[in-house]
Amino acid sequence: MQSDNIIEEVLREIEKQESVLSRREAMKLLALSPLAAGVLGSASTTTSAKAASNAKGKIVIVGGGLAGVATAAKLTHNLSNPDITIIEPNPKSVSYQPGQTLIAAGVWQKSDITYETEKFIPDGVKWIKDSVIGFNPDANKVSLKNGTEVSYDYLIVATGLMLNFGAIKGLEGEITSSGENEIVKKKIGKEGVYSIYFADGAVDTYKGIQELIVKAKAHKGSEKLQAIFTDPDTAIKCGGAPKKIMYIAHDLLSKAGVRDKVELTFCPSGDKMFGVPEYHEAILEQFKVRDFKWEYKTNLVGIDTEKKVATFEKKWLEKGEYDQDLEEYTMVVKSQNVEKKYDFIHITPPQKASDIVGKSPLGSSKGWMPVVKETLQHVKYKNVFGIGDIAALPMGKTGGSARKQYGVVVDNLIAVMEKKEKLPAAYDGYTVCPLITSLGTIMMAEFNWTAKPTPSFPLDPTQERWIWWLVKVYALKPMTIYGMLSGRA
Amino acid sequence: MKKINVVGSLIVALVVLTGCDSKPKEEVKSYKYTTDVVYKETCLHCHGAKGEGVAEKKSPAINKLSIQELEMALFDIKNGGLGQSTASEHEVMEHNMKKLSEKGYDYDIKAMATYIFNTFHSSK
Repeated sequence: MQSDNIIEEVLREIEKQESVLSRREAMKLLALSPLAAGVLGSASTTTSAKAASNAKGKIVIVGGGLAGVATAAKLTHNLSNPDITIIEPNPKSVSYQPGQTLIAAGVWQKSDITYETEKFIPDGVKWIKDSVIGFNPDANKVSLKNGTEVSYDYLIVATGLMLNFGAIKGLEGEITSSGENEIVKKKIGKEGVYSIYFADGAVDTYKGIQELIVKAKAHKGSEKLQAIFTDPDTAIKCGGAPKKIMYIAHDLLSKAGVRDKVELTFCPSGDKMFGVPEYHEAILEQFKVRDFKWEYKTNLVGIDTEKKVATFEKKWLEKGEYDQDLEEYTMVVKSQNVEKKYDFIHITPPQKASDIVGKSPLGSSKGWMPVVKETLQHVKYKNVFGIGDIAALPMGKTGGSARKQYGVVVDNLIAVMEKKEKLPAAYDGYTVCPLITSLGTIMMAEFNWTAKPTPSFPLDPTQERWIWWLVKVYALKPMTIYGMLSGRA
Repeated sequence: MKKINVVGSLIVALVVLTGCDSKPKEEVKSYKYTTDVVYKETCLHCHGAKGEGVAEKKSPAINKLSIQELEMALFDIKNGGLGQSTASEHEVMEHNMKKLSEKGYDYDIKAMATYIFNTFHSSK
C-alpha cells in the first residue's frame, strides 16, 4: 500500500517535468523489473514482520519535522497500544528542506517543498499545536507557551536547530527554516545578500542570481564582479549546501554567458572542503575545473549591507617555541579581520540549538543535546532520546541522517519501555549529501563516522553523475515524504 | 535509452531508500599502543598526570568532562571538525594529534574517551 503511494508520487514528479517518458511506459518498466518487485515486496513486509510490542507508557515528541513525525509513525506500527503526543506549533513543519537548493536553482517552486503537517500526523497520534518553552526532565514534564504543562513517561526531542543570523554583526534574527522570518528578511533576500537556508530565502536567492546575471551583462571594465559564498564555524545542516549554491550560481551564470564577468569565491571557516578526504579531493578538482577561488579559515563575522562590505576573521597557525615533550614546535593561533567587497554574497548562517533545549537540564555547554552517539539515548536521562539536528552528534544534521536515526530511536525506546537492560540498535553516523555540481549532475556523498565513503552502490562515489540528479529531483522527495514520514522507509 | 535510464535510476532510489543498501565491510583497525601507554607517553606532558591540565602549556583540564564530551572532542581533534566541512574547535590539538599519529600514537576514540573518564574523572 505504502509502496504504491511512493511509486505514485515518483510518477507524478516525472509527469511534472515535461515527461522524459510517459506514465504508462514508466509503470510498465517498473512492473517488469525484478529488482523493483523485490524492493517493493520488502518495503511492505518489513514492518509487519516484527510483532508489535505490548509495552505501555506516554510518549511525548517535541518537534514535528521529518524526524519527529517519522519516529511517531514507526512507533505506531511497533507498539500495540501507542500513546503518542507530538508538540509542534508550525502547521507546515514537515517541509522538504533538501529541496531548498533546487528552489534557488529555479528547478522547483516553494510549493514543491511545502506540506501540511496535519496530513502526516499518524492516525491515533495526538498533536498539540503549541511551543514548548521549558523542559523539566527531573519531573518528566515540559511546559508550553499557553501556560499548561504536559507530563510524559518517555520523551523524544526532535526540535531541529536555529539559524543564528544574529550572530553575524550587522544582521538580526534567530529563525527556523520554515517558520516566521520577518526579522531576518530585513537584510537577507535583497541587495546582493542571500541565503538558501530558509525556504523564503531560497526563493529570493533565485531572484538574486537573476539580478546578478543582469548586472553582469551590463558590467564593463576589467575588474570582475565579486560573488562570495560563506560557511560558518558552527555545526550546520547539510555541509554540502554552502558549496551546492556556488555550483548552481556558476551554472546559471555560465548558461547566461556571463560567467567570465564574475569571480566566485568560497570562504569557509574550516581548512578543507569536506570532512571525508576522498570527497574533499573530488570537490577540490571540481572547483579547479570551474575556476572557483577559495580561501580557507576565513569566517564571516560582520556585514555592512549599505556599503556592501563583508568582514571576515582570518585564522592561521604560527610556529611557536620548540616543545621538548612533544618533540615538535608548538603552534599558536593567530587571527586578523579582513574586509571584502561583494556584489553577491550567499550566507550560510551560524547554527545553534534553541536555548529552550540548550540551556535546559537536557542541554550542554555547547547547547546541542548530548546523547550516546550510537543509541541516541540522553547521556543522563534514560527515558529521553534525541534525534535529528538537535542531537550532539558528529557529522550528521541531514534528512539522510534522520532517516537512519529514527529506526534506532524507536527500537531503543521500546527496549527501555520493556525494561530491557541492553539497547538493541546502534546508529553508525551514516549521512548522505547529494552534492549538486551542476543543473543535471550530482556527486552522491555517503559516509559515516569512519570518515570514509560508504557508497550504497558499486559506483565510484567521487564522480558526478546524471543518474544521481534524477534520483534527487524525481525520487528522493517522494521517498522521504511518503516513505519516511509514514515510518516505513 | 534515456527513458530506461530514468526508470533505472528510480529503481536504484527505491533500493537506497527502502533500506536495502549493502553494508560496507567493517574495517577493524589495530593500534600500536594501548590507551594507557599513549596517555602516559604523550597526553600526560600537557594534560597532566591526573588530567588536570598544565597552565604553562595552556592545555586544558580533561578530568571534568563526561564520556560523551570527551568522545565529541576527540572526534573533533582526529577528524579536524565535527561537521561535514567545518573547522576543528581544537586547531592546535588537531595539529599536535597529526604529529602524534605519525609517530604511532593513534587510538580508538571511544576507547580513549572511556580511559580518560575512568582514570581521571573527578567523580571517580
